Amino acid sequence: MPALPAALYYFIVGFIVLNAVIGMVTYVTLLERKFAARMQSRIGPYRVGPHGLLQPIADAVKLMMKEDVVPTLADRPVYNLAPIVFLIPCMLIFATMPFAPGLGVADLNIGILFFLAVSAMEIVGLFMAGWGSNNKYALLSAMRAVNQIISYDLPFIFVALVPVVLAGSLRLSDIAQAQTGFFGAFIFYPVVGQLAFIAYIVTTLAAENRVPFDILEAESELVAGFRVEYSGMKFALIQLGEYAHAIGTSFLGALLFLGAWSGPGPAWLGPLWFLLKAMAVFLLITWVRWSFVRIRVDQILAISWKLMLPASLLLLMATAAWVGWRSAGGA
Amino acid sequence: MAPETPSRSFAREVTDLVGAVGRAMKVTLINLLRKPVTVHYPDVKREYPDRFRGVLALTYDKETGEENCIGCRLCEYICPPQVIKVEMLKAEKRNYAKTFTLELYACEFCELCVQVCPTDAIIMMKSFDVATADRRELLFDKDRLHAVGLQFPPSWATGNLLRDMQSPPKAAKAEPGKTAGRTE
Amino acid sequence: MSDPEARKVVELGYGGSERLTMNMGPQHPSAHGVFRAILMLEGETVAGVDAVIGYLHRCHEKLGESLTYTQYPSIASKTDYVAAMTSELAYVRAAEIVGKFEVPKRAQYLRVLVAELQRIASHCLWLGTWCLDMGGALGGGATVFLYCIRERETVLDLFEALVGARLLYGFHQVGGTRYDIPGGWADRCRATITTIDDRINEYEDMLEGNAFFLARTQGVGVISRALAQEVGISGPLIRGSGVAYDVRRAEPYSSYEDFDFKVPVETAGDCYARYRVRMQEFRESIKVVRQVLDGLPEGPISSRPGVKSVGQVRVAKGEGYARVEGARGEVGCYLVSDGGAKPYRMKWRGASFSNLAILPHIIPGHKVADVVAIMGSVDPVFGEVDR
Repeated sequence: MPALPAALYYFIVGFIVLNAVIGMVTYVTLLERKFAARMQSRIGPYRVGPHGLLQPIADAVKLMMKEDVVPTLADRPVYNLAPIVFLIPCMLIFATMPFAPGLGVADLNIGILFFLAVSAMEIVGLFMAGWGSNNKYALLSAMRAVNQIISYDLPFIFVALVPVVLAGSLRLSDIAQAQTGFFGAFIFYPVVGQLAFIAYIVTTLAAENRVPFDILEAESELVAGFRVEYSGMKFALIQLGEYAHAIGTSFLGALLFLGAWSGPGPAWLGPLWFLLKAMAVFLLITWVRWSFVRIRVDQILAISWKLMLPASLLLLMATAAWVGWRSAGGA
Repeated sequence: MAPETPSRSFAREVTDLVGAVGRAMKVTLINLLRKPVTVHYPDVKREYPDRFRGVLALTYDKETGEENCIGCRLCEYICPPQVIKVEMLKAEKRNYAKTFTLELYACEFCELCVQVCPTDAIIMMKSFDVATADRRELLFDKDRLHAVGLQFPPSWATGNLLRDMQSPPKAAKAEPGKTAGRTE
Repeated sequence: MSDPEARKVVELGYGGSERLTMNMGPQHPSAHGVFRAILMLEGETVAGVDAVIGYLHRCHEKLGESLTYTQYPSIASKTDYVAAMTSELAYVRAAEIVGKFEVPKRAQYLRVLVAELQRIASHCLWLGTWCLDMGGALGGGATVFLYCIRERETVLDLFEALVGARLLYGFHQVGGTRYDIPGGWADRCRATITTIDDRINEYEDMLEGNAFFLARTQGVGVISRALAQEVGISGPLIRGSGVAYDVRRAEPYSSYEDFDFKVPVETAGDCYARYRVRMQEFRESIKVVRQVLDGLPEGPISSRPGVKSVGQVRVAKGEGYARVEGARGEVGCYLVSDGGAKPYRMKWRGASFSNLAILPHIIPGHKVADVVAIMGSVDPVFGEVDR
């Protein structure tokens, strides 16, 4: 390790990761748009740059140039702070993510706990946005959001704990390293792995407000929900936060279930494999998103409390029992 | 949610759900692999059918090169939104149109003016590429209308053809070799 | 049988503490046009709805008095602009009934052909926009929407080859039709509807049995049979509630009695039932189109000479009502003539106008998200509502 003072080292690494995340977020929007377009018999962005590759840059420039409209009766401090309070947890989840063995900002020994706790904090920013906008649609959406995200965080945590139990550690790099080889990935664990992965996808969809659980933005009813009064750069920050959260959970899914950086080839290809697997998870989520209509908020909550929570609890207990049996002398 | 009939077991419901989810995602996957239907306009122009009702134009006679319009104002009277204004110019052998204005921005493209024209003077073109940023450019005067007539390919429909298509065959208006409307 | 539900008026208190008054529309992505619904909400449940219409009023009935019988059919398509062929048909049939004009057989068959093709195109749009409302502009709804629009475009291409225009046609005239089918069109038509038949299987795959879709549509917006007959709705709305009323069977016009097709009826009365009715109507319309193409007789397409001047058609003194089965219900035109070239008075019975009357009876008690599902299944087009 170079002899840099720790603070400077973490600052530089954090800066690099943040920039990488922002860069990835902008291009992931393009990926989603092209993928969705192909599923709908059309081409996505095409004219801005070769095959639309400069579209995210154009969008970013447009959003920066837009007028910042603040409603007269909006609660100004709350309204202005909301995008930042929403964005910070969404970026912070990348802090404990190891991109390769030893390559990460801070590989905490409670890595996954940190991830889950911080990603739940986006609700605060969301509700501030809904409240501060002084808009009934935004308020309705924010109330639904609080309901939905809190309800789905519990199954999310239980499902994310399944690989933790299988690996025996909360540290994210330990979980990744416990999945050695192709078939060592936790998704291939009999029954438990597959069910946990499916449950993970479902709860991720809900935690990120994606169809079929996107009742809180519901363009056709609430016209962008809690974001409706934001324009320009503040809107860009909220979009950034949403997609950063989406990619963050995709990376987490790839790490927990697909073996993170393991793959054929030399060790320095690890981060590339990790990226590819995360994009595969993201594309799977996108595929589901563009295939279904949404369901009502009471049905969403019913699924969460009556189906997902008992199912994920059972799954966790089954995994724990199996791991206990195995280590006690089973195999 | 709707009350479920009690005979459906949980396992049955789960398999139904999984089947339905699988079918829906299969449809999107199939469409992912299909060719997109996008036409890259304006790099690739769409092929307009023969009867396309495009921009309006005034025509010249094929043999003599004279203007076809005799200024009879039938098109002006039949136009539902009244966008055509004609002034007749009397001359010895035949009449002309002194001025002929057509407000294309208000035109409905109903083809009624084409239908009533006795001399097939006003027709529609097989194109609509006159997009402009200033609405005043869509106020066509006689010169512009004649220029449009030379600029684009004409549509199939002219007044006489349309009236022949509609009239009962016992009037025996159809010329030999041209059946009323069955072919292009 | 008088249904007490129909007589009940939901009192809307514009005051009150627990209730939230929310405005849906007139600018709204799922208002299906310009429509304002003032919703009284208690939490997420709608306690009352007040509908405000009139944003698209364009004085059609006055225009009908100032335009002649040769000019107005092109304008008539602008009432129900999504299913323009049936709107024109109502006006032209009214003029023919009052003036006692004959319509040749080939013209009648052509009218049936375009009416059924128009029904297919209109239902494509209905399905697409309904799923778009329910599924979100960024989500599965948009996928179904784009598939439906892709299919609708093929039908509109057929119309473009026939008439020259894609949305507002001017195809009908008093005494028959204005255009005849060009060479090669019949084969293209058959190929198109065969493709659409296959693609409808794809839509059903995506939606039928889908737990999300069923959860959104079953049990939502139930119209009981008695309520349906009391309020005067028509079209797929009333057929989804168990009443087998279809103008094509009740009062056959334009040779509909020559064709063999079923009128689909469902009894549940909810959004899912109306969805099933319209999906089956797709199939039945395809059947009718095939029968028309197979049996199209030769002959003139109009019993009157081609339009040569604006005042050419004069309708004898009298009055009469003509109705057709549009994609949304019974479209009617009542015409009073004083013997001249223009009607003395013309009144439209818009199918969507009467259908909208059902909303204050079925929406209260549902959640906000159901309001969009119900609006979509009622399928209003505001050109017909406001005229």
